[in-house]
Amino acid sequence: MGLIRLLVFGFLGLSIAYLAISFYSRSIRKEKLEDRWVEDHPGDGDSPEREAFIHDGMVEYQSGIRPKLILLVYVIPALAALLLLYLINFF
Amino acid sequence: MTYLKWTLRATVAIVMFLLLHYTLPQHDIVRVVNTYQERQDLNDWTRVFWAKPDDQSAELVNRDVQFIQTVRRKSSLLGFVVHNREEPMVFRNEDTGWSWPPYFKFDTANLQTQADDLRSTPEEPKWAVMTHYGWRNELISVFPNAVAIKPIDGPDARVIPWFNIFFFVFLVIAVLFVRAMWRQFRERSIDPALNEAGEAWDRVDARADEAKGRFGRWIDSWRSKPKR
Repeated sequence: MGLIRLLVFGFLGLSIAYLAISFYSRSIRKEKLEDRWVEDHPGDGDSPEREAFIHDGMVEYQSGIRPKLILLVYVIPALAALLLLYLINFF
Repeated sequence: MTYLKWTLRATVAIVMFLLLHYTLPQHDIVRVVNTYQERQDLNDWTRVFWAKPDDQSAELVNRDVQFIQTVRRKSSLLGFVVHNREEPMVFRNEDTGWSWPPYFKFDTANLQTQADDLRSTPEEPKWAVMTHYGWRNELISVFPNAVAIKPIDGPDARVIPWFNIFFFVFLVIAVLFVRAMWRQFRERSIDPALNEAGEAWDRVDARADEAKGRFGRWIDSWRSKPKR
């Protein structure tokens, strides 16, 4: 029961962290795309080409490795807990 | 308002310090004198200072707890300064299981055996490093929980708190990361929304001014003309 409670609350807590980091990472990527567009097209604030450029950039980001790396938010604490369990009891 | 803000901040800081001071591991240089087991009543508020080794223990009114009696070297300033004097220190030895604090300690019986094995006399002392968390309070019978014991050559050993070093480095990184996340969120999500709301409000305001202007002119038209 204690283990189940730990798993449930741990999962909830880490899910909040996962969502927050995903949101942050997307926001950073979008800002970078906007900055790059302004560098190449000074003065162009909102044109359909700009929208398409940013949209394509975000699609490319979503299919890349970075969003998958955020899943480490679940993996690393689980490994840390297992390591702690081993060191405290069997080392 | 400033007083209120600083009082709030100080309270949060003190609570954080106490929480970390209770929960993080500390090291004592000890000499085991004896171990014993004693029935403990657990049905008042000091229950928070005892562990919950398993689910059935949550409802028990009393149960047996193992203890390790030691003589330790006195220390101060969070254990950074170790003195040459000695003082008695009694540790409880309880499983933390899967519950708080997250030590995942299940080897209470083994630890008790190790402690028994290290028992010594003042004439022929065997020194050891005791890793523990928690506080000792004589008034309300609170004992720190022993987590691990390791024999050392002499009482002058220096213990480097690696776990705490990593923990605080991680804590600083985490705080900076959360701050960066919050700033990004405010810059990209909150401020634009506020700006938009501000602009909308300005439009409403301007229309109100215009309406008032028209209304005012109509009112004025009922006033008597200034006399020539």
